[in-house]
Amino acid sequence: MPERQKPRRSPTAGLLAGLVLTLVAVLLFAYYMNGQLRGLRELQSNLVDRNRKDSLQLLRAQNDLNSLALGMRDMLDAREPYPLTAWTAQFERIREDLDAAVKAEDSFAPMQRTAEQRTYLSQSLAQFWAAMDRMFALAGAGKEKEAREQIQVSLQARQAALSTAVARLLIQNNEAEEQATAEITRIYDRVQRQLYLFLGAALLVIVLTSLYLIQANKKIFAQMEELSSQRSELAQKLISTQESTLRHLSRELHDEFGQILTAIGSLLGRAGKQVPENSTLREDLKEVQEITQSTLSKVRGLSQALHPVLLEEAGLEATLDWYIPTVERQNGITMHYEKSGTAFPVETAAGVHLYRVVQESLNNVSRHAQTNEAWIRLTYAAHELILEIEDHGKGLRPERGQHGIGMVAMRERAELIGGTLVYEKPDEGGTRVRLRVAREKVQAHGG
Amino acid sequence: MKRREFLHGIAGAAAARSIVSPGLFALPAGIGFQLRDVTAQAGISFQHNSGAYGGKLLPETLGSGCAFLDYDGDGWQDILLVNAMDWPGHKKQKSTLKLYKNNRNGSFSDVTRAAGLEVELYGMGVAVGDYNNDGFADVLITCVGQNRLFQNTGRGTFIDVTKKSGLLGRQAFSTSALWFDYDRDGLLDLFVCNYVNWSPEHDVFCSLDGKHKSYCTPEAYRGETCWLFRNRGDGTFEDATATSGVFDASSKSLGVALLDFDRDGWPDLLVANDTQPNKLYKNLRNGKFKDVGMEAGVAFSPDGKARAGMGVAVGDFENSGRAGIAITNFDNEMVGLYRAGKGDAYDEISLPSGVGGPSKTTLGFGCAFLDIDLDGRLDLAVANGHIDETVRNIRGNVGYAQPPQLFLNQGGGKFREAAGEAGAEFAKAKVGRGLAYGDFDRDGDLDILLTTNNGPAYLYRNDESSGNRAIRFYLTGRKSNRDAIGAVVRIFNENELQMRMVHGGSSYLSQSELPVTFGVGKRDRIERVVVDWPSGATQEFKNLASGKGYQLTENKDVVAMQGF
Repeated sequence: MPERQKPRRSPTAGLLAGLVLTLVAVLLFAYYMNGQLRGLRELQSNLVDRNRKDSLQLLRAQNDLNSLALGMRDMLDAREPYPLTAWTAQFERIREDLDAAVKAEDSFAPMQRTAEQRTYLSQSLAQFWAAMDRMFALAGAGKEKEAREQIQVSLQARQAALSTAVARLLIQNNEAEEQATAEITRIYDRVQRQLYLFLGAALLVIVLTSLYLIQANKKIFAQMEELSSQRSELAQKLISTQESTLRHLSRELHDEFGQILTAIGSLLGRAGKQVPENSTLREDLKEVQEITQSTLSKVRGLSQALHPVLLEEAGLEATLDWYIPTVERQNGITMHYEKSGTAFPVETAAGVHLYRVVQESLNNVSRHAQTNEAWIRLTYAAHELILEIEDHGKGLRPERGQHGIGMVAMRERAELIGGTLVYEKPDEGGTRVRLRVAREKVQAHGG
Repeated sequence: MKRREFLHGIAGAAAARSIVSPGLFALPAGIGFQLRDVTAQAGISFQHNSGAYGGKLLPETLGSGCAFLDYDGDGWQDILLVNAMDWPGHKKQKSTLKLYKNNRNGSFSDVTRAAGLEVELYGMGVAVGDYNNDGFADVLITCVGQNRLFQNTGRGTFIDVTKKSGLLGRQAFSTSALWFDYDRDGLLDLFVCNYVNWSPEHDVFCSLDGKHKSYCTPEAYRGETCWLFRNRGDGTFEDATATSGVFDASSKSLGVALLDFDRDGWPDLLVANDTQPNKLYKNLRNGKFKDVGMEAGVAFSPDGKARAGMGVAVGDFENSGRAGIAITNFDNEMVGLYRAGKGDAYDEISLPSGVGGPSKTTLGFGCAFLDIDLDGRLDLAVANGHIDETVRNIRGNVGYAQPPQLFLNQGGGKFREAAGEAGAEFAKAKVGRGLAYGDFDRDGDLDILLTTNNGPAYLYRNDESSGNRAIRFYLTGRKSNRDAIGAVVRIFNENELQMRMVHGGSSYLSQSELPVTFGVGKRDRIERVVVDWPSGATQEFKNLASGKGYQLTENKDVVAMQGF
């Protein structure tokens, strides 16, 4: 008994492992990317956005300081006929806006600013306003000259210092922004590198998985091929066994039972002649003789059906000449039997298979095609023999994966004699079974 | 012929056909009115003289204004046109103010000389107001140099009271001005806009090509404060510029309008500045003002830029009981249209309203909210024209002469530009500056007066054909200033409300008539009219027939007029 083949290892486990590995890699990379993006966002909101908002407030303050400078210039010009107190409303408006700008600036001030830096601006501004209030107080008291001196001596200098401080902070912000830009560039470079690395790793995993899949597929195909060949061999053996069994049964029925029944018939005939005429016994014997004759005919028919002895005795063509009208008669299907080409003798073994193909095909026509007409063509070509059985019924093509055993057997028979069998759909509908076999495979030699 | 002119021509021709033979052509109803150029027919022959001789002096590009006024108190609107003059040393012609008396038949007579106004001055704008409450309109002419105040004698003449009033000696580059009663003492005070610190002696050389002199932009000059003069009631004025808090030497003001944006009954001011933030002076009710332009959202454009504000108009174009604002700006800056938003703030709606798009390539000056089609919604008229004759060489899509625009209010905060449909003559390109409205023919609809720089003035008669009706109110203050400037008139119909304020100034260098006009569509009555007088008094009258005018005298009963 051959050793039972070990079940081959399934590639599913390997594939699942690859999938898990890929998913883990993707998740890890996503986590990494998320971390980098979070870092970028924090850098942007903490530094860049904050810096931008802070710079806008500093520019607003710078603009207000410039307006103050222009106002003070106009006050000193004494171009207007108004007392210095006329500028109060204008300066108050600037004061409101400047205070708001410095307050807002403080809330946006970059993290790295020192406490001293943070308080300098507001303190300097408070001192400026105090000096301005003193100046307007002097002006309000009619001391225009002293007020103008206050502008020249104190206010203009304080305004200049404030303006310089604001400019310095703007420069600082600019530098911080440049550093942030450099840091952002570094992060982008790092992320880009990691992205390439990840893509490379992913590519490698894909290549390895593909190679593994190809290898596994190759093995599966080889296995399938082997299985198919085993199955074919088995089927052919089955067919051979079936044919030899049928042939044996057919011969036994024809030779043994046929002779016995013939002998019984002769004996009954002789016995009947010895019995007086018009006697009941003579009638009975005659009846038994007729039953015996009928049984003999049935046995011979069965023998012929199981394995047409005619094949061996008269060949394929003669067998078909007998078989086709028989089927026509039995099933009520009109058969158009055509032969063409120069006939050549067909070897009995091959003839059996060809006969069986015709038998199975016509059987299918009568059972499934729902038609009452069929065409059988036997063509003797120069180098091959072509056998076609065609109907224009509803068609025999079975659903995928549901090939009937009869059709499988027909293919196997075709293979056994080295031929090819195809199922076709004629233009008129229905089914055409075409078997082609090389002449040298089926031609009988020396017969 | 340009495509625009061609289309306008077609529109005009179509409108003409429909009038000549209304039954013959089954044309669509159109916009229901036409603006016809009746300048020559009305006997108005005016040529503005900018004094330009090639020196490219800044004031040459900006003048000048116009006014509808009833100087003789006969109830018919007369016309005053401001003129400039040749510069000293370049004298070639005489050019003076022009006063045209309404002949009550669609024509005017030039009464300049007889009225004593044949005066040469470098005039810019005009503000009309009865500052001495004698029942006759007095006139302030703003000038480059000395502004001039002309008192109406009531006998068809004016006398120059500049010196007597105390205004002499204040010299600047003055532009728009208006009369209003900021302290609500029943006397009209005077607000004067000044542009920049310019004089022929201190003219700055500006050039586009580095060789030839061109007109400077205002950035080349220092600003100049606006002035506020308080009426003492004795014919003299006190300079309240410094004490009121409106002093601001950084301003470069061209337009001013009266409004009560916070609805407290105290008159506030909106000042349009060129390349400087616009100012919204809130009346603090104690003789002082505070600029809240920034908080109110009118100081800058929506993108934070100080635009080149020129003219300004105020009106309740949404019929919400709160006035919106229009400010004309330089080309590429659009007309700034503001609707009253949350609290006392304004929302800029130029683009969504449909006013911004068509005004992108125009340089606007005079502007006014008026219900030109009497449909009950305030429309917006804008005079356009560039300051640079060579602008076409620099910006291909912007011309020196530009068509005026008429934005018809479609309701829901939407406007549609329809100058071409209103009249081909009106829509013809011109170097527009001043713009004023008034019902000179007393047919109930509002006519338009438009001045051009170094060119003629135009009078456009509004010929209403829609059948829409008007109702007009002539207000006379008793405790309030006699002109009732600052009075708010509201009419109610079912759930609908319309509001007008009696105002001087507005637009650009110009003044419209003082009577207020409401369009009421096809209604033949209004349910209710409420008047809030500057004195604080409120009066209400019910069930007034439309299609006529009414005399509303403070604390007296309403008097219906025969017609308008």
